[in-house]
Amino acid sequence: MAEELQIEIAPDGKVTVRTKGIKGPACMDLADIFVQLLGTEDVRTKTSEYYESQTAAKRSVQQKQQRS
Amino acid sequence: MSCVLVVTPLVIGSWPAISAAVTAAIATMGYSLAKAAGQRHGVDQHGKAKAEITVEDSEILEDGAGTGQEIVVEKDGIRATFSRDARGALRVCMEGEGHSKAELKKIGEELIGRVTQQYVYHKVVTELKERRMAIVGEEVGEDRTIKIHVRNW
Repeated sequence: MAEELQIEIAPDGKVTVRTKGIKGPACMDLADIFVQLLGTEDVRTKTSEYYESQTAAKRSVQQKQQRS
Repeated sequence: MSCVLVVTPLVIGSWPAISAAVTAAIATMGYSLAKAAGQRHGVDQHGKAKAEITVEDSEILEDGAGTGQEIVVEKDGIRATFSRDARGALRVCMEGEGHSKAELKKIGEELIGRVTQQYVYHKVVTELKERRMAIVGEEVGEDRTIKIHVRNW
């Protein structure tokens, strides 16, 4: 899946960043970069895809462990 | 979607960086530059309503060039003067005949918002380029929200 960012800068300067296709902690790292760059964090929400990718990664590790 | 982040920006920069944001913002709002980068005169416009606004989340760095200067912009008899206050914050003084102080304050806050928006836009685009992140689309919505689309870096 393509990694995407949608950045919206409102007329009052407030910034909303939405990520798509960025798995797990990498998404949080990217969010940290924007907070450090711009100012004060108001809201940070992990969406279902964040947890899906986390779950998929855990499942993959478990399958590998079972095989070995 | 993986995550959603909302950030309130801090405007911290040199006077030239703030000036560039002011110039970009006024161009989109129909203001014209009455005086750019001039020395402060402190001229009092007698008889005109006046509203002063200090941008709390701002800091104009002292060691940059032009910190003692101001930018004056005008539109429909309203004059806005941008300068750095004694604490180093961005200050905007709004003046205009036929407007109440509250009206001038409201107009000034809208102007400050758009200056902040342009400042943030420049900062974001510069950072994306430095990180070699490809901007594949940019648009300005009817509500003047700037949308930047980045893909595959």
